[in-house]
Amino acid sequence: MISNIVKTEWLKLKHYKAFWLLLSVTAISYPGINGIAYYAFKDSIDAKSQSGQLVKMLLGNPFAFPQSFHTTAYLSSFFTFIPAIVVIMLVTNEYLFKTHRQNIIDGWKKNTFIWGKFISVVLVTLIVTIFYLAVASFIGVVATKEMSGINVFEKAHYIGLFSLQVFCQLSIAFLLGLLIRKAFIAYGIYIFYSFILENILSGFFRLKSKKWGVDYGHYLPFEISDRLIPLPPSLGKFNAADHQLAVAAINNHVVYTVLLTVFVWLLSFYIFKKRDL
Amino acid sequence: MPVLEINAVSKSYGRIRALDNVSFNIPKGSVFGLLGPNGSGKTTLLSIVLDVLQADGGGYKWFDQPPSYLHRKKIGALLETPNLYHYLTAVQNLRITQSISGRGNEADIHAVLEKVKLHERKNSRFSTYSLGMKQRLAIAAALLGDPSVLVLDEPTNGLDPVGIAEIRDLIKALSDHGHTVIMASHLLDEVEKVCDHVAILKRGKLIASGTVESVLTAEDCIVLNAADQALLQDSIKGYPGLIRTNKSVEGLECYFAKGTSAPDQINRYCFEQGMVLSQIVSKKKRLEEKFFELTAE
Repeated sequence: MISNIVKTEWLKLKHYKAFWLLLSVTAISYPGINGIAYYAFKDSIDAKSQSGQLVKMLLGNPFAFPQSFHTTAYLSSFFTFIPAIVVIMLVTNEYLFKTHRQNIIDGWKKNTFIWGKFISVVLVTLIVTIFYLAVASFIGVVATKEMSGINVFEKAHYIGLFSLQVFCQLSIAFLLGLLIRKAFIAYGIYIFYSFILENILSGFFRLKSKKWGVDYGHYLPFEISDRLIPLPPSLGKFNAADHQLAVAAINNHVVYTVLLTVFVWLLSFYIFKKRDL
Repeated sequence: MPVLEINAVSKSYGRIRALDNVSFNIPKGSVFGLLGPNGSGKTTLLSIVLDVLQADGGGYKWFDQPPSYLHRKKIGALLETPNLYHYLTAVQNLRITQSISGRGNEADIHAVLEKVKLHERKNSRFSTYSLGMKQRLAIAAALLGDPSVLVLDEPTNGLDPVGIAEIRDLIKALSDHGHTVIMASHLLDEVEKVCDHVAILKRGKLIASGTVESVLTAEDCIVLNAADQALLQDSIKGYPGLIRTNKSVEGLECYFAKGTSAPDQINRYCFEQGMVLSQIVSKKKRLEEKFFELTAE
């Protein structure tokens, strides 16, 4: 059964040029943002100026192994909106072409259709994680001057955290596409909420946290998984107390992220089952 | 055993009652026409039996069993519009149909494309097709793997006259091979040519169903002509068993209960009334006339 779903979803994606084009844009964006950050950092530490030496002393080298896995995950996570557009496109296109109806008419159960999309989101997450891993490894190799004595994989758990974050955020994008059904409205809401509204809400809850004793902003839909990858230590040291709290909360946020992701998919199954197609 | 048993199915969209307690059976091996004006509930009914919409009340059975996705795999269906992936070619689209339904194989894909005359464009993207070609591909998808039951909602939409005739021949051939074909159509002439059973819906209500013969001949119709048609109409009024009359271009249509009209007795009656008939014809009503009569406001 699963192999049939995978085969069918692959038949849908294999020749879908827009899908591969957008994934190519993602593939370019990851080395792009990380490369720019790395070369900006390298230029400043290579400078003979006093400030350059100060940066070198304060930051160390966040792009060298093992920090490379963390720093690259943090920077790459700013570009999750591109694979999110891919995911929204995958679900809204089914509505646009009414192929979701035809899949059911041809003999899929409604649950099978959602499992198909779940597998597609897993596939996109895997591809994106491979892009990230390739960039983290490449930059790590380039930036590490001396490999001996270094545990290269000390921060490799960020690979898992990054993929969990991407999967959670793509799952939210999927739910949005499923609810809205119109591609451009869904893109607009996703971009507006993730880049603007949630940051405003986050700021509001941060202000209120002293009064309320708890920062509810940490539990906003994107913030829950954003907190899986806190600032890299070299940058976090500027606010060491907050950074330590953020690192200590990672395990909790793994649990919250998994729960949120499970909820998003259960809701997706429920909506599709109950809705007229 | 009916292929499809529809039992008191109802469906509303807000205040609009799209289907109201509709019940009928579709016999195995029949070519069943589902007729009705726009908005009568034909597509809603087909959508319900294909599990695309959920009924508010009532139910249905495929092959005398509660509905299951396994039944849908055995049914080739085209619902409303061709629902295919615009960025894929004909062959790629049919591979998806094959993968989901399990019907047919690679050779069958090429065979159905030959059958609907799309083989030359099999590697063109769906988005480049004309409306008629899209419809042909959707029909090909329904035919894939030679399913025993076909549900075709307006199968001749967008087709040219040659295409319409080809679909008619195709449906006849399927019927000859024992397939059950359920088709919704506005083209009453086509339905009359290929269907042996019909159901007529009006505003979500079933107003007639059964064999085409039984629906068409619920009454006997005798057409009379004489030199003075006005006098003829007056004279015939007293004829025992006459239900009603209607003036048409063919003459004066006289309606009687089914099986009760006797042209020789009518002729004698008219003669006794001083009328000499120039023509007396037993008329079989056409589906189009019956449809307009049943669905008239």
